[in-house]
Amino acid sequence: MNPRLANAEFLKLRKRRGLVAAVSAVTILPMVVAYVVLLVLHANDPGKHGPAGGLENFMPSIDILTTLTILAAVLIGATLGTGDLTAGVFRELVVTGRSRLSLFTARIPAGLAVLLAPVAVAFGITAAASRAFAGSLEAPSSTVLAQSGAWLALMAGVSMVIALGVSSLFSSRGTSIGILLGWQLGVMPVLLAIGSLGSFREGLFYAAADRLQPAALADGPTQVPMAVATAVVVLVAWTVIPLAFGAWRTQTRDA
Amino acid sequence: MNVVETSGLTKRFGDRVAVKDVDLRVPRGSAFGYLGPNGAGKTTLIRMLLGLTKATSGEMRLLGRPVPAERAAALARVGAIVEEPRFHGHLTGRENLSVIAAAREPEAHARIDGALARVGLAQRADDRVKSYSLGMRQRLGVARSLLADPELLILDEPTNGLDPAGIQEFRHMIRGFVDEGRTVLLSSHLLDEVEKICDQVAIVDRGQVVVQGSIAELAADGKQTILVATGDNEQAFRILGEHRAIQSMAPENGAFRIALHSDVEAEAAAGDISRRLVLGGVAIRRFEPTRVSLEQRFLEITSRLEESA
Repeated sequence: MNPRLANAEFLKLRKRRGLVAAVSAVTILPMVVAYVVLLVLHANDPGKHGPAGGLENFMPSIDILTTLTILAAVLIGATLGTGDLTAGVFRELVVTGRSRLSLFTARIPAGLAVLLAPVAVAFGITAAASRAFAGSLEAPSSTVLAQSGAWLALMAGVSMVIALGVSSLFSSRGTSIGILLGWQLGVMPVLLAIGSLGSFREGLFYAAADRLQPAALADGPTQVPMAVATAVVVLVAWTVIPLAFGAWRTQTRDA
Repeated sequence: MNVVETSGLTKRFGDRVAVKDVDLRVPRGSAFGYLGPNGAGKTTLIRMLLGLTKATSGEMRLLGRPVPAERAAALARVGAIVEEPRFHGHLTGRENLSVIAAAREPEAHARIDGALARVGLAQRADDRVKSYSLGMRQRLGVARSLLADPELLILDEPTNGLDPAGIQEFRHMIRGFVDEGRTVLLSSHLLDEVEKICDQVAIVDRGQVVVQGSIAELAADGKQTILVATGDNEQAFRILGEHRAIQSMAPENGAFRIALHSDVEAEAAAGDISRRLVLGGVAIRRFEPTRVSLEQRFLEITSRLEESA
Protein backbone atom coordinates (compact mmCIF):
# COMPACT_ATOMS: atom_id res chain seq x y z
CA MET A 1 0.00 0.00 0.00
CA ASN A 2 1.49 3.32 -1.07
CA PRO A 3 0.75 6.03 1.54
CA ARG A 4 1.15 8.86 -1.00
CA LEU A 5 -1.46 7.28 -3.24
CA ALA A 6 -3.77 6.70 -0.28
CA ASN A 7 -3.37 10.36 0.72
CA ALA A 8 -4.23 11.43 -2.81
CA GLU A 9 -7.37 9.27 -2.74
CA PHE A 10 -8.27 10.78 0.63
CA LEU A 11 -7.83 14.27 -0.80
CA LYS A 12 -10.11 13.49 -3.76
CA LEU A 13 -12.77 12.15 -1.44
CA ARG A 14 -12.71 14.71 1.34
CA LYS A 15 -12.87 17.55 -1.18
CA ARG A 16 -16.23 16.29 -2.39
CA ARG A 17 -18.16 18.61 -0.15
CA GLY A 18 -21.54 17.27 -1.15
CA LEU A 19 -20.57 13.71 -0.35
CA VAL A 20 -18.95 14.60 2.96
CA ALA A 21 -22.02 16.64 3.91
CA ALA A 22 -24.36 13.81 2.90
CA VAL A 23 -22.40 11.21 4.85
CA SER A 24 -22.28 13.45 7.91
CA ALA A 25 -25.97 14.18 7.55
CA VAL A 26 -27.01 10.54 7.41
CA THR A 27 -24.80 9.44 10.29
CA ILE A 28 -24.37 12.27 12.81
CA LEU A 29 -27.56 14.25 12.35
CA PRO A 30 -30.07 11.44 13.05
CA MET A 31 -28.30 10.54 16.29
CA VAL A 32 -28.34 14.16 17.44
CA VAL A 33 -32.00 14.53 16.49
CA ALA A 34 -32.96 11.22 18.12
CA TYR A 35 -31.42 12.08 21.48
CA VAL A 36 -32.71 15.65 21.42
CA VAL A 37 -36.24 14.30 20.81
CA LEU A 38 -35.85 11.71 23.57
CA LEU A 39 -34.59 14.39 25.94
CA VAL A 40 -37.47 16.74 25.13
CA LEU A 41 -40.04 13.96 25.52
CA HIS A 42 -38.57 12.92 28.87
CA ALA A 43 -38.40 16.51 30.05
CA ASN A 44 -42.03 17.15 29.12
CA ASP A 45 -43.49 13.98 30.57
CA PRO A 46 -41.05 11.93 32.69
CA GLY A 47 -43.87 9.60 33.75
CA LYS A 48 -44.71 8.53 30.25
CA HIS A 49 -41.24 8.81 28.67
CA GLY A 50 -38.24 7.35 30.46
CA PRO A 51 -34.73 8.80 30.41
CA ALA A 52 -33.23 9.48 26.98
CA GLY A 53 -30.13 7.37 27.59
CA GLY A 54 -29.40 3.95 28.99
CA LEU A 55 -28.83 0.61 27.33
CA GLU A 56 -32.52 0.50 26.46
CA ASN A 57 -32.17 3.43 24.05
CA PHE A 58 -28.61 2.65 23.07
CA MET A 59 -29.51 -0.68 21.40
CA PRO A 60 -32.06 0.69 18.89
CA SER A 61 -29.86 3.71 18.28
CA ILE A 62 -26.98 1.47 17.25
CA ASP A 63 -29.36 -0.55 15.04
CA ILE A 64 -30.39 2.63 13.23
CA LEU A 65 -26.82 3.89 13.07
CA THR A 66 -25.73 0.58 11.55
CA THR A 67 -28.27 0.90 8.76
CA LEU A 68 -27.29 4.51 8.16
CA THR A 69 -23.62 3.57 8.21
CA ILE A 70 -24.26 0.99 5.48
CA LEU A 71 -25.94 3.70 3.43
CA ALA A 72 -22.98 6.05 3.95
CA ALA A 73 -20.55 3.24 3.13
CA VAL A 74 -22.33 2.56 -0.14
CA LEU A 75 -22.19 6.25 -1.10
CA ILE A 76 -18.48 6.48 -0.34
CA GLY A 77 -17.52 3.11 -1.82
CA ALA A 78 -19.42 3.76 -5.05
CA THR A 79 -17.84 7.21 -5.39
CA LEU A 80 -14.38 5.78 -4.78
CA GLY A 81 -14.86 3.01 -7.31
CA THR A 82 -16.07 5.27 -10.10
CA GLY A 83 -14.68 8.74 -9.35
CA ASP A 84 -11.54 8.51 -11.49
CA LEU A 85 -13.38 6.84 -14.35
CA THR A 86 -16.21 9.35 -14.36
CA ALA A 87 -13.81 12.28 -14.32
CA GLY A 88 -11.67 10.64 -17.03
CA VAL A 89 -8.65 10.77 -14.73
CA PHE A 90 -8.14 7.01 -14.55
CA ARG A 91 -6.19 6.98 -17.80
CA GLU A 92 -4.06 9.88 -16.58
CA LEU A 93 -3.14 7.77 -13.56
CA VAL A 94 -2.44 4.70 -15.67
CA VAL A 95 -0.16 6.74 -17.91
CA THR A 96 2.13 7.36 -14.96
CA GLY A 97 3.13 3.70 -15.15
CA ARG A 98 1.88 3.02 -11.62
CA SER A 99 0.33 -0.45 -11.37
CA ARG A 100 -3.42 -0.49 -11.61
CA LEU A 101 -3.61 -2.75 -8.59
CA SER A 102 -1.83 -0.19 -6.41
CA LEU A 103 -4.17 2.52 -7.73
CA PHE A 104 -7.09 0.32 -6.72
CA THR A 105 -5.88 -0.72 -3.27
CA ALA A 106 -5.02 2.87 -2.32
CA ARG A 107 -8.72 3.60 -2.35
CA ILE A 108 -9.46 1.33 0.60
CA PRO A 109 -7.74 3.24 3.44
CA ALA A 110 -8.93 6.56 1.99
CA GLY A 111 -12.53 5.38 1.91
CA LEU A 112 -12.33 3.99 5.42
CA ALA A 113 -10.85 7.24 6.72
CA VAL A 114 -13.61 9.36 5.21
CA LEU A 115 -16.33 6.96 6.33
CA LEU A 116 -15.15 6.14 9.82
CA ALA A 117 -14.67 9.76 10.91
CA PRO A 118 -18.38 10.73 10.85
CA VAL A 119 -19.42 7.24 11.97
CA ALA A 120 -17.09 7.61 14.96
CA VAL A 121 -18.59 11.00 15.77
CA ALA A 122 -22.11 9.60 15.48
CA PHE A 123 -21.17 6.64 17.65
CA GLY A 124 -19.49 8.94 20.17
CA ILE A 125 -22.66 11.03 20.43
CA THR A 126 -24.75 7.90 20.87
CA ALA A 127 -22.42 6.41 23.48
CA ALA A 128 -22.05 9.67 25.41
CA ALA A 129 -25.79 10.36 25.37
CA SER A 130 -26.69 6.84 26.42
CA ARG A 131 -24.48 7.15 29.47
CA ALA A 132 -25.02 10.83 30.29
CA PHE A 133 -28.79 10.62 30.11
CA ALA A 134 -29.20 7.10 31.54
CA GLY A 135 -30.91 8.41 34.65
CA SER A 136 -32.53 5.49 36.42
CA LEU A 137 -31.82 3.13 33.51
CA GLU A 138 -28.90 0.77 33.21
CA ALA A 139 -26.10 2.53 31.30
CA PRO A 140 -24.16 0.59 28.67
CA SER A 141 -20.92 -0.68 30.12
CA SER A 142 -17.52 0.18 28.67
CA THR A 143 -17.32 -3.38 27.33
CA VAL A 144 -20.65 -3.03 25.54
CA LEU A 145 -19.57 0.32 24.10
CA ALA A 146 -16.26 -1.10 22.90
CA GLN A 147 -17.92 -4.16 21.37
CA SER A 148 -20.59 -2.03 19.72
CA GLY A 149 -18.04 0.39 18.33
CA ALA A 150 -15.93 -2.42 16.91
CA TRP A 151 -18.98 -4.09 15.38
CA LEU A 152 -20.12 -0.83 13.81
CA ALA A 153 -16.63 -0.25 12.39
CA LEU A 154 -16.67 -3.79 10.99
CA MET A 155 -20.02 -3.26 9.31
CA ALA A 156 -18.85 0.08 7.94
CA GLY A 157 -15.61 -1.37 6.60
CA VAL A 158 -17.14 -4.44 4.99
CA SER A 159 -19.97 -2.43 3.42
CA MET A 160 -17.57 0.16 2.04
CA VAL A 161 -15.29 -2.50 0.57
CA ILE A 162 -18.23 -4.32 -1.04
CA ALA A 163 -19.39 -1.03 -2.56
CA LEU A 164 -15.89 -0.26 -3.82
CA GLY A 165 -15.58 -3.66 -5.46
CA VAL A 166 -19.04 -3.65 -7.01
CA SER A 167 -18.78 -0.09 -8.34
CA SER A 168 -15.33 -0.78 -9.80
CA LEU A 169 -16.85 -3.75 -11.56
CA PHE A 170 -19.89 -1.93 -12.95
CA SER A 171 -18.11 1.42 -13.50
CA SER A 172 -21.32 3.33 -12.82
CA ARG A 173 -21.96 5.10 -9.55
CA GLY A 174 -25.72 5.30 -9.94
CA THR A 175 -26.12 1.69 -11.00
CA SER A 176 -23.86 0.49 -8.22
CA ILE A 177 -25.68 2.48 -5.54
CA GLY A 178 -29.00 1.14 -6.80
CA ILE A 179 -27.81 -2.46 -6.82
CA LEU A 180 -26.10 -2.23 -3.44
CA LEU A 181 -28.91 -0.49 -1.60
CA GLY A 182 -31.46 -2.76 -3.20
CA TRP A 183 -29.48 -5.81 -2.16
CA GLN A 184 -28.38 -4.67 1.30
CA LEU A 185 -31.56 -2.98 2.43
CA GLY A 186 -34.16 -4.78 0.35
CA VAL A 187 -33.38 -8.24 -1.00
CA MET A 188 -31.08 -9.54 1.73
CA PRO A 189 -33.44 -8.84 4.67
CA VAL A 190 -36.23 -10.54 2.72
CA LEU A 191 -34.07 -13.60 1.98
CA LEU A 192 -33.06 -13.76 5.62
CA ALA A 193 -36.71 -13.86 6.63
CA ILE A 194 -37.51 -16.83 4.37
CA GLY A 195 -36.92 -19.72 6.74
CA SER A 196 -37.41 -22.34 4.03
CA LEU A 197 -34.08 -21.29 2.48
CA GLY A 198 -32.47 -23.05 5.46
CA SER A 199 -28.70 -23.14 5.55
CA PHE A 200 -28.40 -21.24 2.26
CA ARG A 201 -29.03 -18.17 4.37
CA GLU A 202 -25.70 -18.74 6.14
CA GLY A 203 -24.04 -17.31 3.05
CA LEU A 204 -25.78 -13.98 3.46
CA PHE A 205 -23.76 -11.07 4.73
CA TYR A 206 -26.44 -10.03 7.23
CA ALA A 207 -26.72 -13.54 8.66
CA ALA A 208 -23.01 -13.57 9.38
CA ALA A 209 -23.10 -10.03 10.73
CA ASP A 210 -26.06 -10.94 12.93
CA ARG A 211 -24.07 -13.87 14.35
CA LEU A 212 -21.12 -11.64 15.18
CA GLN A 213 -23.22 -8.87 16.70
CA PRO A 214 -22.38 -8.18 20.38
CA ALA A 215 -24.81 -10.05 22.63
CA ALA A 216 -25.82 -6.83 24.39
CA LEU A 217 -27.18 -5.44 21.14
CA ALA A 218 -29.06 -8.57 20.10
CA ASP A 219 -32.78 -8.40 20.67
CA GLY A 220 -33.22 -12.17 20.50
CA PRO A 221 -31.64 -15.31 19.08
CA THR A 222 -29.82 -14.98 15.76
CA GLN A 223 -32.03 -15.41 12.71
CA VAL A 224 -29.71 -17.96 11.13
CA PRO A 225 -27.84 -20.08 13.67
CA MET A 226 -24.26 -20.74 12.61
CA ALA A 227 -20.80 -21.20 14.08
CA VAL A 228 -18.74 -18.08 14.72
CA ALA A 229 -16.01 -19.45 12.42
CA THR A 230 -18.56 -19.83 9.63
CA ALA A 231 -19.75 -16.27 10.16
CA VAL A 232 -16.17 -15.00 9.97
CA VAL A 233 -15.57 -16.95 6.76
CA VAL A 234 -18.76 -15.58 5.24
CA LEU A 235 -17.82 -11.99 6.11
CA VAL A 236 -14.31 -12.47 4.75
CA ALA A 237 -15.78 -13.89 1.54
CA TRP A 238 -18.14 -10.92 1.23
CA THR A 239 -15.13 -8.66 1.58
CA VAL A 240 -12.65 -10.45 -0.65
CA ILE A 241 -14.83 -11.55 -3.56
CA PRO A 242 -16.24 -8.11 -4.55
CA LEU A 243 -12.77 -6.62 -4.03
CA ALA A 244 -11.24 -9.26 -6.29
CA PHE A 245 -13.78 -8.57 -9.01
CA GLY A 246 -13.22 -4.83 -8.71
CA ALA A 247 -9.45 -5.25 -8.83
CA TRP A 248 -9.71 -7.57 -11.83
CA ARG A 249 -11.87 -5.08 -13.72
CA THR A 250 -9.51 -2.24 -12.85
CA GLN A 251 -6.59 -4.29 -14.11
CA THR A 252 -8.17 -5.34 -17.36
CA ARG A 253 -10.31 -2.42 -18.51
CA ASP A 254 -9.28 -0.12 -21.34
CA ALA A 255 -8.33 3.15 -19.69
CA MET B 1 18.75 6.45 -30.65
CA ASN B 2 15.02 6.12 -31.07
CA VAL B 3 12.79 6.87 -28.08
CA VAL B 4 9.82 5.10 -29.66
CA GLU B 5 10.16 1.97 -31.75
CA THR B 6 7.31 -0.21 -32.87
CA SER B 7 7.42 -3.25 -35.04
CA GLY B 8 4.41 -4.80 -36.70
CA LEU B 9 2.14 -3.12 -34.17
CA THR B 10 -1.47 -4.03 -34.80
CA LYS B 11 -4.74 -3.40 -33.00
CA ARG B 12 -8.02 -4.95 -34.01
CA PHE B 13 -11.49 -4.20 -32.69
CA GLY B 14 -13.37 -7.27 -33.86
CA ASP B 15 -13.09 -7.33 -37.64
CA ARG B 16 -11.97 -3.73 -37.85
CA VAL B 17 -8.24 -3.05 -37.96
CA ALA B 18 -7.52 0.27 -36.25
CA VAL B 19 -3.72 0.03 -36.41
CA LYS B 20 -2.04 -2.21 -38.95
CA ASP B 21 1.58 -3.38 -38.91
CA VAL B 22 2.97 -0.06 -37.79
CA ASP B 23 6.76 0.22 -37.77
CA LEU B 24 7.51 3.56 -36.20
CA ARG B 25 10.87 5.14 -35.31
CA VAL B 26 10.87 8.37 -33.33
CA PRO B 27 14.40 9.81 -33.01
CA ARG B 28 15.49 11.24 -29.67
CA GLY B 29 15.42 15.02 -29.42
CA SER B 30 13.00 15.55 -32.29
CA ALA B 31 9.54 16.99 -32.60
CA PHE B 32 7.84 14.12 -34.36
CA GLY B 33 4.46 14.52 -35.98
CA TYR B 34 2.15 11.56 -36.29
CA LEU B 35 -0.07 12.92 -38.98
CA GLY B 36 -3.26 11.51 -40.38
CA PRO B 37 -6.92 12.20 -40.94
CA ASN B 38 -9.49 11.61 -38.23
CA GLY B 39 -10.08 7.91 -37.68
CA ALA B 40 -6.66 6.94 -39.04
CA GLY B 41 -5.70 5.17 -35.80
CA LYS B 42 -3.47 7.84 -34.27
CA THR B 43 -5.03 7.82 -30.82
CA THR B 44 -5.22 4.03 -30.77
CA LEU B 45 -1.49 3.80 -31.40
CA ILE B 46 -0.80 6.28 -28.60
CA ARG B 47 -3.10 4.39 -26.26
CA MET B 48 -1.16 1.20 -26.96
CA LEU B 49 2.17 2.90 -26.36
CA LEU B 50 0.94 4.15 -23.00
CA GLY B 51 -0.60 0.86 -21.90
CA LEU B 52 -4.15 2.18 -21.96
CA THR B 53 -5.20 -0.61 -24.29
CA LYS B 54 -3.50 -3.83 -25.30
CA ALA B 55 -1.97 -4.40 -28.70
CA THR B 56 -3.35 -7.30 -30.70
CA SER B 57 0.13 -8.09 -32.00
CA GLY B 58 3.52 -6.53 -32.57
CA GLU B 59 6.26 -5.10 -30.40
CA MET B 60 6.90 -1.70 -28.82
CA ARG B 61 9.84 -0.05 -27.09
CA LEU B 62 9.64 3.21 -25.19
CA LEU B 63 12.91 4.91 -24.21
CA GLY B 64 14.65 1.68 -25.09
CA ARG B 65 12.51 -0.46 -22.82
CA PRO B 66 10.10 -3.09 -24.06
CA VAL B 67 6.48 -2.42 -23.21
CA PRO B 68 4.36 -3.72 -21.67
CA ALA B 69 7.09 -5.85 -20.03
CA GLU B 70 8.90 -2.83 -18.54
CA ARG B 71 6.03 -0.42 -18.81
CA ALA B 72 6.38 1.16 -15.36
CA ALA B 73 10.06 2.00 -15.81
CA ALA B 74 9.48 3.28 -19.35
CA LEU B 75 6.52 5.49 -18.43
CA ALA B 76 8.35 6.99 -15.45
CA ARG B 77 10.02 9.39 -17.91
CA VAL B 78 7.08 9.84 -20.25
CA GLY B 79 4.52 12.63 -20.02
CA ALA B 80 1.36 12.41 -22.06
CA ILE B 81 -1.86 14.10 -23.00
CA VAL B 82 -4.30 11.69 -24.56
CA GLU B 83 -7.24 13.33 -26.32
CA GLU B 84 -8.73 16.06 -24.14
CA PRO B 85 -6.91 16.33 -20.80
CA ARG B 86 -9.28 15.39 -17.99
CA PHE B 87 -9.24 16.42 -14.34
CA HIS B 88 -11.23 16.22 -11.16
CA GLY B 89 -13.31 19.37 -11.47
CA HIS B 90 -13.89 19.62 -7.74
CA LEU B 91 -10.15 19.87 -7.05
CA THR B 92 -7.90 22.84 -7.73
CA GLY B 93 -5.26 22.76 -10.43
CA ARG B 94 -2.56 22.27 -7.83
CA GLU B 95 -4.49 19.46 -6.12
CA ASN B 96 -5.00 17.71 -9.43
CA LEU B 97 -1.27 17.80 -10.04
CA SER B 98 -0.71 16.58 -6.51
CA VAL B 99 -2.91 13.55 -7.20
CA ILE B 100 -0.84 12.63 -10.25
CA ALA B 101 2.44 13.40 -8.49
CA ALA B 102 1.45 10.85 -5.84
CA ALA B 103 1.42 8.19 -8.54
CA ARG B 104 4.87 9.19 -9.75
CA GLU B 105 8.26 9.27 -8.05
CA PRO B 106 8.53 11.24 -4.76
CA GLU B 107 10.42 14.07 -6.51
CA ALA B 108 7.35 14.78 -8.66
CA HIS B 109 5.73 16.80 -5.85
CA ALA B 110 8.63 19.23 -5.89
CA ARG B 111 8.02 19.87 -9.61
CA ILE B 112 4.43 21.06 -9.19
CA ASP B 113 5.14 24.76 -8.69
CA GLY B 114 7.66 24.87 -11.52
CA ALA B 115 5.29 23.08 -13.89
CA LEU B 116 2.44 25.47 -13.07
CA ALA B 117 4.69 28.47 -13.60
CA ARG B 118 5.99 27.04 -16.87
CA VAL B 119 2.50 26.89 -18.36
CA GLY B 120 1.44 30.24 -16.88
CA LEU B 121 -1.06 28.89 -14.38
CA ALA B 122 0.65 29.84 -11.14
CA GLN B 123 -1.93 32.57 -10.43
CA ARG B 124 -4.90 30.24 -10.95
CA ALA B 125 -3.38 27.13 -9.39
CA ASP B 126 -5.61 27.26 -6.35
CA ASP B 127 -8.86 27.69 -8.26
CA ARG B 128 -11.04 24.69 -8.89
CA VAL B 129 -10.50 23.17 -12.31
CA LYS B 130 -14.20 23.29 -13.12
CA SER B 131 -13.76 27.07 -13.46
CA TYR B 132 -10.94 26.68 -16.01
CA SER B 133 -11.32 27.40 -19.71
CA LEU B 134 -10.40 24.72 -22.26
CA GLY B 135 -7.12 26.47 -22.95
CA MET B 136 -6.25 26.49 -19.25
CA ARG B 137 -7.07 22.81 -19.02
CA GLN B 138 -4.77 22.11 -21.95
CA ARG B 139 -2.01 24.01 -20.22
CA LEU B 140 -2.69 22.20 -16.97
CA GLY B 141 -2.45 18.96 -18.93
CA VAL B 142 1.01 19.98 -20.10
CA ALA B 143 1.96 20.89 -16.53
CA ARG B 144 0.79 17.45 -15.43
CA SER B 145 2.91 15.75 -18.06
CA LEU B 146 5.95 17.75 -16.90
CA LEU B 147 5.74 16.19 -13.43
CA ALA B 148 7.59 13.20 -14.85
CA ASP B 149 10.49 15.43 -15.97
CA PRO B 150 9.86 13.63 -19.24
CA GLU B 151 12.38 12.57 -21.81
CA LEU B 152 9.41 11.92 -24.08
CA LEU B 153 6.19 13.91 -24.31
CA ILE B 154 3.30 12.29 -26.15
CA LEU B 155 0.66 14.83 -27.09
CA ASP B 156 -2.50 13.69 -28.82
CA GLU B 157 -4.18 16.50 -30.76
CA PRO B 158 -2.98 19.03 -28.18
CA THR B 159 -4.30 22.15 -29.88
CA ASN B 160 -7.88 20.94 -30.30
CA GLY B 161 -10.25 23.66 -29.22
CA LEU B 162 -7.59 26.31 -28.70
CA ASP B 163 -7.93 29.79 -30.15
CA PRO B 164 -5.24 31.04 -32.56
CA ALA B 165 -3.29 32.77 -29.80
CA GLY B 166 -3.43 29.62 -27.70
CA ILE B 167 -2.24 27.52 -30.63
CA GLN B 168 0.71 29.80 -31.20
CA GLU B 169 1.58 29.74 -27.53
CA PHE B 170 1.39 25.96 -27.59
CA ARG B 171 3.73 25.75 -30.57
CA HIS B 172 6.33 27.85 -28.77
CA MET B 173 5.99 25.68 -25.70
CA ILE B 174 6.53 22.49 -27.66
CA ARG B 175 9.55 23.87 -29.48
CA GLY B 176 10.87 24.92 -26.08
CA PHE B 177 10.63 21.33 -24.87
CA VAL B 178 12.55 20.11 -27.90
CA ASP B 179 15.19 22.77 -27.35
CA GLU B 180 15.65 21.37 -23.84
CA GLY B 181 16.50 18.00 -25.36
CA ARG B 182 13.13 16.36 -24.81
CA THR B 183 11.40 14.44 -27.56
CA VAL B 184 7.87 15.36 -28.50
CA LEU B 185 5.59 12.92 -30.30
CA LEU B 186 2.63 14.93 -31.51
CA SER B 187 -0.37 13.40 -33.16
CA SER B 188 -2.52 15.65 -35.25
CA HIS B 189 -4.83 15.79 -38.21
CA LEU B 190 -3.74 19.38 -38.80
CA LEU B 191 -1.09 19.41 -41.50
CA ASP B 192 -0.19 23.00 -40.98
CA GLU B 193 0.33 22.42 -37.28
CA VAL B 194 2.69 19.49 -37.82
CA GLU B 195 4.60 21.34 -40.50
CA LYS B 196 5.12 24.33 -38.21
CA ILE B 197 6.06 22.41 -35.08
CA CYS B 198 7.74 19.20 -36.16
CA ASP B 199 10.94 18.28 -37.89
CA GLN B 200 10.10 14.61 -38.39
CA VAL B 201 6.81 13.14 -39.48
CA ALA B 202 5.00 9.89 -40.13
CA ILE B 203 1.91 10.03 -42.29
CA VAL B 204 -0.70 7.51 -41.29
CA ASP B 205 -3.84 6.50 -43.11
CA ARG B 206 -6.33 3.76 -42.30
CA GLY B 207 -4.14 2.45 -39.51
CA GLN B 208 -1.00 2.18 -41.62
CA VAL B 209 2.09 4.36 -41.66
CA VAL B 210 2.37 5.34 -45.29
CA VAL B 211 5.63 7.22 -45.12
CA GLN B 212 7.96 8.62 -42.47
CA GLY B 213 11.02 10.81 -42.44
CA SER B 214 12.04 14.43 -42.06
CA ILE B 215 9.54 16.99 -43.28
CA ALA B 216 12.12 18.43 -45.68
CA GLU B 217 12.73 14.98 -47.18
CA LEU B 218 9.05 14.24 -47.55
CA ALA B 219 8.28 17.56 -49.13
CA ALA B 220 11.30 17.18 -51.44
CA ASP B 221 9.97 13.83 -52.56
CA GLY B 222 6.89 15.54 -53.88
CA LYS B 223 6.45 17.47 -57.11
CA GLN B 224 8.38 20.71 -57.52
CA THR B 225 6.43 23.31 -59.41
CA ILE B 226 7.07 26.73 -60.91
CA LEU B 227 4.33 29.29 -61.42
CA VAL B 228 5.15 31.37 -64.52
CA ALA B 229 3.40 34.40 -66.00
CA THR B 230 4.72 35.82 -69.26
CA GLY B 231 3.81 38.37 -71.94
CA ASP B 232 3.05 35.52 -74.33
CA ASN B 233 2.07 32.28 -72.68
CA GLU B 234 1.46 30.47 -75.99
CA GLN B 235 5.03 31.21 -77.12
CA ALA B 236 6.32 30.13 -73.73
CA PHE B 237 4.44 26.83 -74.06
CA ARG B 238 6.06 26.26 -77.45
CA ILE B 239 9.56 27.02 -76.17
CA LEU B 240 9.26 24.82 -73.11
CA GLY B 241 7.22 22.04 -74.68
CA GLU B 242 10.21 19.81 -75.30
CA HIS B 243 12.08 20.56 -72.04
CA ARG B 244 13.26 17.29 -70.46
CA ALA B 245 12.84 18.54 -66.86
CA ILE B 246 9.18 19.41 -67.33
CA GLN B 247 6.56 16.81 -66.60
CA SER B 248 3.51 18.94 -67.33
CA MET B 249 2.28 22.49 -67.79
CA ALA B 250 -1.19 23.73 -66.94
CA PRO B 251 -2.85 27.16 -67.13
CA GLU B 252 -3.55 28.81 -63.79
CA ASN B 253 -5.24 32.20 -63.43
CA GLY B 254 -3.67 33.82 -66.50
CA ALA B 255 -0.33 32.20 -65.81
CA PHE B 256 0.71 28.58 -66.04
CA ARG B 257 2.16 26.09 -63.60
CA ILE B 258 5.07 23.92 -64.58
CA ALA B 259 5.44 20.60 -62.77
CA LEU B 260 8.98 19.24 -62.79
CA HIS B 261 9.93 15.60 -62.92
CA SER B 262 10.73 14.37 -59.43
CA ASP B 263 14.27 13.28 -60.36
CA VAL B 264 15.50 16.65 -61.62
CA GLU B 265 17.45 19.18 -59.63
CA ALA B 266 14.85 21.89 -59.16
CA GLU B 267 17.11 24.96 -58.94
CA ALA B 268 19.08 24.09 -62.03
CA ALA B 269 15.89 23.30 -63.97
CA ALA B 270 14.33 26.61 -62.93
CA GLY B 271 17.44 28.49 -64.08
CA ASP B 272 17.41 26.74 -67.43
CA ILE B 273 13.70 27.35 -67.97
CA SER B 274 13.97 31.08 -67.29
CA ARG B 275 17.08 31.33 -69.53
CA ARG B 276 15.25 29.65 -72.45
CA LEU B 277 12.25 31.93 -72.09
CA VAL B 278 14.45 35.03 -72.12
CA LEU B 279 16.48 33.75 -75.10
CA GLY B 280 13.17 32.99 -76.86
CA GLY B 281 12.15 36.65 -76.46
CA VAL B 282 9.39 36.00 -73.93
CA ALA B 283 8.98 38.63 -71.24
CA ILE B 284 8.73 37.05 -67.80
CA ARG B 285 6.34 38.84 -65.46
CA ARG B 286 6.25 36.27 -62.71
CA PHE B 287 8.48 33.29 -61.91
CA GLU B 288 7.82 31.44 -58.61
CA PRO B 289 9.47 28.10 -57.94
CA THR B 290 7.26 26.45 -55.31
CA ARG B 291 8.46 24.06 -52.70
CA VAL B 292 5.71 21.49 -52.17
CA SER B 293 4.20 21.87 -48.71
CA LEU B 294 3.63 18.92 -46.48
CA GLU B 295 -0.07 19.47 -47.02
CA GLN B 296 0.28 18.98 -50.77
CA ARG B 297 2.48 15.94 -50.20
CA PHE B 298 -0.01 14.55 -47.71
CA LEU B 299 -2.85 14.99 -50.18
CA GLU B 300 -0.77 13.36 -52.91
CA ILE B 301 -0.08 10.34 -50.72
CA THR B 302 -3.58 9.92 -49.36
CA SER B 303 -5.23 10.48 -52.75
CA ARG B 304 -2.99 7.77 -54.23
CA LEU B 305 -4.17 5.46 -51.50
CA GLU B 306 -7.80 6.28 -52.17
CA GLU B 307 -7.31 5.58 -55.87
CA SER B 308 -5.68 2.23 -55.18
CA ALA B 309 -8.33 1.23 -52.62
